[in-house]
Amino acid sequence: MTLGERLAATVALCALLALILSVVACESRDTKEASAGAQPFSTFAIGPQPGPDRGLPRAENPYANDKTVLADGRRLFNWYNCSGCHGDHAGGGMGPSLRDSLWRYGGDAPSIFASINEGRQFGMPAWGTKIPRDQIWRVVTYIQSLRTPDEPDPPR
Amino acid sequence: MTGTEMTEMKRSNDERRWSRAATGVVLVATILAGCGKSQTTQERSADTTAEARAALAASHRDSVTTSLAPAPGVGQVGLIPAGSDLGQKPGEWTMAARDYAASRFSPLNDINVSNVAQLKVASTFSTGVLHGHEGQPLVVGSTMYVVTPWPDLLYAIDLTKPGGALKWMFGPNADPRSVGIACCDVVNRGATFADGKVIYNTLDDHTIAVDANSGKATWNTKVGEIAIGETMTMAPLVVGNKVFVGNSGAELGVRGWLAALDLGSGKILWKAYSTGSDSDVKIGADFKPFYASDRGKDLGLHTWTGEQWKLGGGSVWGWLSYDPELKLLYYATANPGVWNPDMRPGDNKWSMTIFARDPETGNAKWAYQITPHDAWDYDGVNENILIDQPMNGQMRKILFHADRNGFAYTLDRATGEVLSAAPFVITNWAKGIDLKTGRPIEDPAKRTHEGIVVRDICPSSTGGKDQQPAAFSPRTGLVYIPAHNVCMNYEGVEANYIAGTPYVGASVKMYPGPGGYRGELLAWDPVHQRKVCSVLEDMPLWSGVLATGGDLVFYGTMDGWFKAIDARTCTEKWKMKVASGIVGAPIAYRGPDGKEYIAIYAGIGGWMGAVADPNVSLDDPYTALGVAGAVPDLKQKSAEAGILYVFTL
Repeated sequence: MTLGERLAATVALCALLALILSVVACESRDTKEASAGAQPFSTFAIGPQPGPDRGLPRAENPYANDKTVLADGRRLFNWYNCSGCHGDHAGGGMGPSLRDSLWRYGGDAPSIFASINEGRQFGMPAWGTKIPRDQIWRVVTYIQSLRTPDEPDPPR
Repeated sequence: MTGTEMTEMKRSNDERRWSRAATGVVLVATILAGCGKSQTTQERSADTTAEARAALAASHRDSVTTSLAPAPGVGQVGLIPAGSDLGQKPGEWTMAARDYAASRFSPLNDINVSNVAQLKVASTFSTGVLHGHEGQPLVVGSTMYVVTPWPDLLYAIDLTKPGGALKWMFGPNADPRSVGIACCDVVNRGATFADGKVIYNTLDDHTIAVDANSGKATWNTKVGEIAIGETMTMAPLVVGNKVFVGNSGAELGVRGWLAALDLGSGKILWKAYSTGSDSDVKIGADFKPFYASDRGKDLGLHTWTGEQWKLGGGSVWGWLSYDPELKLLYYATANPGVWNPDMRPGDNKWSMTIFARDPETGNAKWAYQITPHDAWDYDGVNENILIDQPMNGQMRKILFHADRNGFAYTLDRATGEVLSAAPFVITNWAKGIDLKTGRPIEDPAKRTHEGIVVRDICPSSTGGKDQQPAAFSPRTGLVYIPAHNVCMNYEGVEANYIAGTPYVGASVKMYPGPGGYRGELLAWDPVHQRKVCSVLEDMPLWSGVLATGGDLVFYGTMDGWFKAIDARTCTEKWKMKVASGIVGAPIAYRGPDGKEYIAIYAGIGGWMGAVADPNVSLDDPYTALGVAGAVPDLKQKSAEAGILYVFTL
């Protein structure tokens, strides 16, 4: 490496560092100020949404009202050991029942998706780290069918 | 040397040791002479061989008479092995089962058959925690120590203050994620006391020694890992300068272990695994199992297929006991990993096994696999009660074990030989235990398989009894067993191992057994393996039992009745309805005011008690690993609570 090349490399490195620093600085300023109207990070809300309803986009279940995925949702519910915690037919055990009408973190499809995806406080794993989104939606669809006439393989 | 010769040699050694050491044999003579009224275990005089021999002979005569014409409520007189209570005062309760023998016998007799009708509440204390309050408080000197279910709080209560006053509270900040890792509610079965420290485990796998005076942690050792499904619920036992603890999680594919920690520093000294190579299991040259099928190299590997032993369960979540004379530590291991037996052909050693270990080195001295190749979740962890009792004219060092599989076993605790075994509840999966091989004589129709629903298996996975500990009274020679009468349908299903999540592999539906009762408190003669008397109960019994020098037996029901019965006749003498179902174990102690007290937790929960949890639904009988079908009425009969009740006259 010649002297000129070394100089060029040093200059390039400095420029890169400066760029990184400025980006970091900008980001920290952004998160500090969170100006009104900025696009928020989360579109899943478990807690109450602060401020007036801003009409945020909501994740939609691609299988809403699609009965053809229910059996597969049930299969996945067993295969990923959801049944081990929540019961063979989701009546509860180690984890809470999903058959009742009580939802700690919301019972609509996006909320159930979020709970599966992110995990929850008392040991619910963050399944988004393992299961493809499409499969999570199938499980969500199965869970929403519990105690309806559409429930596949109901308890007997 | 043949097995028989070895046994004979050990027997004669035992006899010599017995004659030499027999402190307390005088007690036998005393009881036989009819003057063993009270404080009996206190009165230990210098022994002579002649006295001991006379007592043995007298015991034998008594046993013959008893077997011909049994007197009501009297089995073989028996002894709690000498030195088991570590010299604690009769009014103290310093370890989970009060003594190393796991007797749960208190010599106190101020409260007795003649006056228990006047028993009333002296004080109550809210733990501030819901969920199953298994286990029992400790009483050391004038302080009571109470451990709660997760978040595993430890309270010290000053008994010198009127009604008891809080001295300190210790909170270990146990990881809330452990709640979802625990198979069967977030229970804790209590602490033990040694060297000025109160020592207990937390659900997130820490063993903590708390200074009994200051309430500050002396040491805190992480011994397991929730990320691979391990939790801890058992009560430690201290022998010498070592603390013994074990893991829970056989429903999550853990590999069971017993660990020894240094009492002074909390440092982990060794772990003895329940599966794997002989060196991992701590099996060496001095390992002498009684039965041929427990002999061979690396059985913890070769009795499994492939590497299934790594997920093989055999967790150590039950009770520990110790014989100070034989210097052997006893415990039993849990079910093999994954309940679907077709996923793990072989005997699956050393799941379902009673181990006798040298507590110093951890080396196994003998092992006996109770239920080879389990197909029912007859998890073997139930308590091993150590009793010295005459059998066939010979004083024997007995280990009594009432197993989930429905059979009561009496073993020679020096050798691991099964001396007798008989069903103590309705049992149909096996016709008996072959004493030549030690193995169950199974009904092939009741062995479960993948993809087939096998119906009407008795008992259910929750067993003839679960972990709720029995008590032994040396005054009656009887064991008091809290039993269940529940049966099941069982189907093995394919399971997918994902670390830190359930690895169950079975669909289980339980239902009440025949006869119109779901529980029974049995007064059981361990020598003749027969029921002397019993109380039939509506609900399965999930509480432990206390036997006292006042010839009373205390226990509780899942619908919240706390009861005292006559230890000799099983007649109900007193009862009271408490705030919630009882799944804990009663204790007796003497307060600083000199009065005898009885203490019990009210707090429904545990595996079967989880049905009372508002977070389970009853329209699915498979709920909570199948127990919902057994006690669908529990929600109506008991709500959650966490209350310590203390009673006195």
